[in-house]
Amino acid sequence: MNSIESVSRLQMSRRGFLGALGAAAAIPLLAACSPGGAAGGGGGAGGGGGAGTIKFWDMPWGQANYSRAGKDLIASYTPAAGLGAASYQSIQWNNYYQTFSSAIASNTGPAVSSGSGFQAFQFAEAGKIAYADRVVDALKKSGSYDDFLPGVFDALRTGQGQVAIPWQMDLRVLWYRKSLLEKAGVDVPTDWASFLSAGKALKKIGVVGFATGAGSGFNLGGHAIVSMMINNGGGMFDPEGNPDLVTDRNIETLEFFNEMVSEGIIDPAAVSYTSENLLTQWKDRKAGMGINTPGWNASVGDTENDVLVGEPLVSPNGTKGSLYYVNNLMMYTATPNQEASEAFLEWYVDNMKTYWQQKVITAIPVRHSIADLPEFQENAQNVKIVDVWQPISQTYSARSTSSFGALAAVDGGQGMQTFSQTVLAGKSNPKQTLTTFQAAIESLMKKKS
Amino acid sequence: MNLTLVLFVVPSVLLLILLNAYPLAFGLNQSVRDGSLLDDGQFVGLANYTNALTSTAFWEAARFTLIFTVVGVFGSWIVGLGLALLLRTRTPARGLFKVLLLLPWVVPIVVSSTAWNWLVATPSSPVPQLFEALGWGTPLFLADPTLAAITVCIFKVWVSFPFMMMMSASALASVDPVVYEAARMDGASPRQQFTQITLPLVARSTYISWILMTIFCVNDFPTIYLLTGGGPVNATTSLVVLAYRSVFQNFETGSGVAIAFLMTAVLVAVSVVLYRQIRKVDTA
Repeated sequence: MNSIESVSRLQMSRRGFLGALGAAAAIPLLAACSPGGAAGGGGGAGGGGGAGTIKFWDMPWGQANYSRAGKDLIASYTPAAGLGAASYQSIQWNNYYQTFSSAIASNTGPAVSSGSGFQAFQFAEAGKIAYADRVVDALKKSGSYDDFLPGVFDALRTGQGQVAIPWQMDLRVLWYRKSLLEKAGVDVPTDWASFLSAGKALKKIGVVGFATGAGSGFNLGGHAIVSMMINNGGGMFDPEGNPDLVTDRNIETLEFFNEMVSEGIIDPAAVSYTSENLLTQWKDRKAGMGINTPGWNASVGDTENDVLVGEPLVSPNGTKGSLYYVNNLMMYTATPNQEASEAFLEWYVDNMKTYWQQKVITAIPVRHSIADLPEFQENAQNVKIVDVWQPISQTYSARSTSSFGALAAVDGGQGMQTFSQTVLAGKSNPKQTLTTFQAAIESLMKKKS
Repeated sequence: MNLTLVLFVVPSVLLLILLNAYPLAFGLNQSVRDGSLLDDGQFVGLANYTNALTSTAFWEAARFTLIFTVVGVFGSWIVGLGLALLLRTRTPARGLFKVLLLLPWVVPIVVSSTAWNWLVATPSSPVPQLFEALGWGTPLFLADPTLAAITVCIFKVWVSFPFMMMMSASALASVDPVVYEAARMDGASPRQQFTQITLPLVARSTYISWILMTIFCVNDFPTIYLLTGGGPVNATTSLVVLAYRSVFQNFETGSGVAIAFLMTAVLVAVSVVLYRQIRKVDTA
């Protein structure tokens, strides 16, 4: 109370007041924006790596004991003569990109790291990535290359070279709750028409047919829409990598979404749903179907084999497809020894199966040998994702074959959120919505070029 | 003697340079470049400022920021002052009420936004269910653009009124009860006492609380971002959310910092006006 009284009685000079005010308003944001200002322990926390040591940074990709398994794995690395050892540093997902950016900008970043989606492309365009073509050659020579699933290397290649090595995958697949479909008296849908029928039947029993969300910090709605666009033979880019959204296939997809909203198959509140809202909907058995990530059955807490992966739908044009991300392992130009980085990375991709053997990760592997492990084969849903969904999935850059850094801004940016919320609201004019989104992407790409 | 004085001043000056001048200069430099989080980029002059000022997104965000701030400042002030006046009376368990009323301010915003999300987000949330039970339909508080804007503003008032209550309570405590006694003897009605005595005597504190709350509202990121993320379809995107998106989602540091500087300029202008009011009160 006294302090408040003293504030109210404070005698301030105008100049002093304005100075304090300006600083108070500007400093937090500006400090956060500074390339060197949001280190979050990045470069300085290199895990005790000394001179010549390869610093490996890794995010917690799996369960709580994942980082421990990672640390143990790196500790078991024995470098060839003359090459440095490796150290392990776990980087939290929260603000990870800022952590990497500030560390790399100040040359205190890692020599090798894992990373999601388009991180390697962004850093490659900034000249911070050491291309992995020699690692690819080494993997080809050793025979490991042929063990990787088809298409995963291509997803990480640009005109300049291989920006990263595949590490695991994140796909968007169709999930359904078996008991609710049975209750609604419908079969598991196989194409858009049967999906619509199933959705209507689910609606009649008070269940959402296409459960998704596009609320604060939640991109699933956008991913679901792009997945369906790809499923229909559309996508966001032409084969040359130019934005190409206003196509018949994409318009048809958005019309399908409009129909799902008008039929009540998509929850009208989905526009604002966070991941927690969606999870609650599934747990409460109010969601019958929806596009989601691998491991969704575990997130929902399904122990009765009731939440299952469906078949990829056949679009009205006879096509199949979905969206996937190839998470990857990348090398940086700031390394004590490039040869040591490459040797470490080659060793790492040949030994990363331990995460699946120890069951500290449920992600979809990029290697046949890992997918064939008994520990992985125990999970029938994940096996189905590898067998059925991976071969038909495409990256964000579909219909182009190569990715680029601006996709990160497209994926997580304001344009995508506005687009997905507009579509899920169901009142959009498809052509106009796609034109607006295309303009937003072109603007982003122009600024990044 | 002079050297001693200089030595005393040097640490403060260094701190000021380090904490105020350097970030300000660094930010100004970024705002005239087309950089990202990774590199400083090229010098682009005032392009980031002109781009911001000519973009629809900026003015839509500015409009929402204005509404959010006006509702946030005056809504929380009215509720806070009302409660402060109420708590001045001999209410039973007054201390307990004070503690309970402080909770919205004390509880971390992450917790309160999660609670509000649970209350209003889905058709089966308690508040929409209550509306349905009353026959008012099932409003989508966070999915409808207008309702989302209203919800965020109400949330801000709920979070902020305890601060205003404390400011008002401390100001009211400094008013001599004899003044009211004299007014009553002169036949002043309760309304006249409030408008002719209470409001003028707490004016200085009120203006200060308005200045502070204006700064809190304009710079408020978590209240909006945690509840709606700026949506649906940008309906609750304020300038600070827009700046955040520019920097951390679109990776355009220059644009984001330029928006932050424009915000600061407006804040300073508003604060100068309010500060002048304080001086008027002081000299009256």
